[in-house]
Amino acid sequence: MKKTMITVAGLALGALAAQSAAAQTPRTLNAVKARGVLNCGANTGLAGFGQTDAQGNWTGLDVEYCRAIAAAVFGDATKVKFVPLSAKDRFTAIQSGEVDVLVRNTTWTSSRDTSLGLNFGAVNYYDGQGFLVKKSIKVASAKELSGASICVQQGTTTELNLADYFRANKMELKAVTFATNDETIKAYDAGRCDAFTTDASGLYAERLRLAKPDDHMVLPEIISKEPLGPAVRHGDDQWHDVVNWVHYAMLTAEELGVTKANVDEQLKSANPEIKRLLGTEGKHGEALGLTTDWAYRIIKNVGNYGESFDRTVGLGSQLKINRGVNNLWNKGGLQYAPPIR
Amino acid sequence: MTLKMAGILAGLTGFLLASGSAMAQQPRASTLNAVKARGVLNCGVGTGLAGFAIPDAQGNWSGLDVDVCRALSAAIFNDPTKVKFVSLSAKDRFTALQAGEIDVLSRNTTWTSSRDTSLGLNFAAINYYDGQGFIVKKTAKVASALELGGASVCVQQGTTTELNLADYFRANKLELKAVTFATNDETVKAYEGGRCDAFTTDASGLYAERLRMEKPDDHMVLPQIISKEPLGPSVRHGDDQWYDIVRWTHYAMVTAEEIGVTKANVDEQLKSANPEIKRLLGTEGKHGEALGLTNDWGYRIVKHIGNYGESFDRNVGVGSRLGIARGVNNLWNKGGLQYAPPIR
Repeated sequence: MKKTMITVAGLALGALAAQSAAAQTPRTLNAVKARGVLNCGANTGLAGFGQTDAQGNWTGLDVEYCRAIAAAVFGDATKVKFVPLSAKDRFTAIQSGEVDVLVRNTTWTSSRDTSLGLNFGAVNYYDGQGFLVKKSIKVASAKELSGASICVQQGTTTELNLADYFRANKMELKAVTFATNDETIKAYDAGRCDAFTTDASGLYAERLRLAKPDDHMVLPEIISKEPLGPAVRHGDDQWHDVVNWVHYAMLTAEELGVTKANVDEQLKSANPEIKRLLGTEGKHGEALGLTTDWAYRIIKNVGNYGESFDRTVGLGSQLKINRGVNNLWNKGGLQYAPPIR
Repeated sequence: MTLKMAGILAGLTGFLLASGSAMAQQPRASTLNAVKARGVLNCGVGTGLAGFAIPDAQGNWSGLDVDVCRALSAAIFNDPTKVKFVSLSAKDRFTALQAGEIDVLSRNTTWTSSRDTSLGLNFAAINYYDGQGFIVKKTAKVASALELGGASVCVQQGTTTELNLADYFRANKLELKAVTFATNDETVKAYEGGRCDAFTTDASGLYAERLRMEKPDDHMVLPQIISKEPLGPSVRHGDDQWYDIVRWTHYAMVTAEEIGVTKANVDEQLKSANPEIKRLLGTEGKHGEALGLTNDWGYRIVKHIGNYGESFDRNVGVGSRLGIARGVNNLWNKGGLQYAPPIR
């Protein structure tokens, strides 16, 4: 008992020392480097975002974010330990230091950004409520849904957003509500409604479970905001910067046309933006506590954002999610990276 | 070691741990506490740029960047006038923030990787997406930069602007006839004198230069933005709470615009049953307290300053002399990039 208490006290003092150092010293990056592996908080299984295959290999958009961080830090995208976390446990795991970063289709909200002691920044997937319709009803836009019946789960934010959107656009709403998501989607599949509404990523996932997925399409409108992105602990600005700029590097690469396939050739490019991205000019990686070729490592090992998106959730994947709001800012979407310079 | 000593040590540790975890929430060097104690916000601004930050004859500052600081002051003190504006040159601005001379730098400053990392700063939000654009004579009947193939374009020599211009024309397979000059003044004058069909520089600059032309109304800025100059307020590393406050002050203004809450209707909106409005104005939830502010922080901002769209229009937009179109600075669901994460 006595010994245990002393040990506990020692551990606690150690933890405290580490904590007060946190505000000043770049703790997480050093810890990750010393450990030789990134601890990444992941989903327990969500197609396209984070799940394991039959061989236990992790895949998904969120998974590739962690692989990109590992590539930037170690030059090796496999140095990641994925820690599957339930929605309930995810924040405790990042707060306690069990994981270095949480990339688990988590919405950036004010409460999480403030009272949980976390920092959000990059948004790797702009999710939000959308509509799924049968192709046979020949509707191309949510604005054409006036008078249509919409299957929606009862008592959810989704139901409120639906009513708000129809009211704001002066459209007639015929909502058909059900207690659970499963009942709602089954009713839609059985033809009880013209449309089904939930978060867009969910629409694409549910579509795969319908009797005839190809008979249905997701409309382009996104009517609510669920910005999903990585979270880190407060108190370590360097690590926050590293995590954010990994996403920005992947976006910049897409914008400049640097791909996994052509990145070696691009090392010879005379374009100053490409040179700064790949580290053939400037010390932008060192400023992050990484090597100057940090972004080269990311693109070489993982690819640019568009490649990652297409492979995991986009047209090259089972989900076939359109780029939509997740397209680059100069192609009609919201994905925007500040300049590397 | 005796049991008693172990007990004392354990107790002491518990106390230290508790203060340790409190520290994670309330940083030692709390900018918010310093601002509250001082009774005034020290805000770094420029030396005078129309629309963004400029003092009038009476020394009253106004502008889009000025409103960022007034909104912070409103959120903290329920009074938008508790701001001391510190006029800073481009050269001195970062030192002033690093040294603690100012609490926030809101001075049309581009968020770049170097500034975000090696200068020890955090960029909190983007209050103006600037970037290179084109101005043309209305008589040229051109509505898009994509129609400029074969047109002559006046551009300053040896600048990033010149490189971006060449890149954009090459990427869009347009024939470029660049006409270059050593200084910005020469370039604008040459364009105005009819030497070129178009002039290119950062969009905010195009609108400002247009005002100096003989017949401003004969010229128009095209909608395309071909490079990235995201401008926004920055704070020092090491104070996450203050970073959150600056960031969410901008987001509150963007949210207010998105849900139709204005300076004029904010009192009426206090009665709204819309949960998003209730959370913004603090009639529901404790979102202000989570920031170290009062729960009516969002109400105070909109009451004193207005929403983002109102601030934009008044300072740089269609309600101002500059007449800048919302363009990329419109809300995300109206074709622009301004997007606030949800308050909830």
